[in-house]
Amino acid sequence: MLEVRGLSLRYPNGKQALTDFSLAVAAGELVIVLGGNGSGKTTLLRCIARALVPGAGTIRVNGTDLTRLAGDRLRRARLELAMISQQAALVRRRSVLANVASGALGRHGGIWTTLGGLPNAELAAAHLHLDEVGLAPLAAQRAGTLSGGQAQRVAIARALAQRPRVLLADEPVASLDPEAAEDIMRLLRRLAAEENLAVLCVLHQVELAYAYADRVVGIRDGSVAFDLPRADLSREAVRQLYLSEAA
Amino acid sequence: MTDRVAGGQGRHVGPARGWAGPLGHAVHIVAALAGLLIVIQSLIVVQARPQDLVTGIHGMADILRRAMPPDFTQLDKELWPALETVDIAIFGTLAGVMMALPLAVLAAANVTPSRPLYYAARGIIGFTRAVPDLVWALFFVTAVGLGPFPGGLALAVHSIGMLGRLFAETIEHMDMAPIDALALTGARRLQIFTHGVVPSVLPALLGIGLYRLDENIRASLVLGFVGAGGIGFQLLTAMNLFQYREVSLLLIVIFVIVLIAERLSAMLREKLA
Repeated sequence: MLEVRGLSLRYPNGKQALTDFSLAVAAGELVIVLGGNGSGKTTLLRCIARALVPGAGTIRVNGTDLTRLAGDRLRRARLELAMISQQAALVRRRSVLANVASGALGRHGGIWTTLGGLPNAELAAAHLHLDEVGLAPLAAQRAGTLSGGQAQRVAIARALAQRPRVLLADEPVASLDPEAAEDIMRLLRRLAAEENLAVLCVLHQVELAYAYADRVVGIRDGSVAFDLPRADLSREAVRQLYLSEAA
Repeated sequence: MTDRVAGGQGRHVGPARGWAGPLGHAVHIVAALAGLLIVIQSLIVVQARPQDLVTGIHGMADILRRAMPPDFTQLDKELWPALETVDIAIFGTLAGVMMALPLAVLAAANVTPSRPLYYAARGIIGFTRAVPDLVWALFFVTAVGLGPFPGGLALAVHSIGMLGRLFAETIEHMDMAPIDALALTGARRLQIFTHGVVPSVLPALLGIGLYRLDENIRASLVLGFVGAGGIGFQLLTAMNLFQYREVSLLLIVIFVIVLIAERLSAMLREKLA
């Protein structure tokens, strides 16, 4: 479903953020990326979402190479690929329901959505997505009034409204308490299985990777340090990954 | 000066701020003298003569005496110009908001579609702000004749500059995370604007607009001095004809208008916050 091959990116300041990075995530699979601070985890996700332009490599989503696209073709290709980040990034003064439904805007090009309206069908679908993340009763509430965990769930519901094939999650539990973090990880796990989503999730919490990942990819200095099924991931490999950061 | 390590904890603190020692004292004395010189030159340039206030007190007392009591028999005659004054401000503010909004979008560095448009918008905003509303009023009186319309136009054009700058700054300081998130969903540029930018900044923009309305009501009071309609024209006429009791009535009407506008504007802005 998602296939990254030989991805490289150098920042304008000369820092090599990614070097010949490759990975693949199949439909229904939850792959967790672990790595120290500044190892290139967020850059990898932003690169895959084409928020950053890679210097080399290919990013294939369902067979389409995103690196070859620009303008409206890239915008349409992005519909297949949703991203959630550490901050839920909701429009605080809009309702929870409107925030979720706005995930579907890319599929609607009419005057109504351009003027700020949302199609009734998408509002109804947004209700279902909210129900899926357990927040249907909060649909009418302003997004700015939600707790961190609730806001993150709404961000996930917005991603679902996009009807993506791939879900990228950049440290989605970084600012949450342990219970809320477990909640979100359980939700991602369930969505991967039930919605047949390819989920690529960047985390700092090793224990969550052990608990929820199908596969774990270690990233060090922008390169793949290991790519292993969860069952094969040794504590030593993880220790080495973070040791290199301390060094 | 280099970084210092504080308290042996290995925590770096920045270089020492300000000046220390005798050099520092000298700098403070020079700064104080420079400040004093600025004040003295301003007193010389404005030809400040406080003694004239004392000798002129009889003249002021005479005007006050002749202005009392206010001539309330003229009140019904002043109501229309008062309404005209408020309407000039409403027209000027609304037209100003409508023109300032698109300019502000172009002039906000984080959402502008292109650099040349950014500089063009900044230029228009800067120019309309730099020219005082009274000068715009003179210009429009010449163009469209006497009356409230040139007053409204003057406030509209001057408001473009004042509102455009504040709107652009508000847009520049908004949280970009929801905007980036919408962009990554595949939403189109205009959709991102209407679904992300507008709801994020609308309350702040309305607050600024209401504050501008309050300012424009004050400004419209004096536009009549140059023939641009409103209660200012009545005030000028009454003063020229030495009708001081009517002048005092007009000042009361102006005071009431300003007070109501100020309270209403503050109340609505509070509701929007």
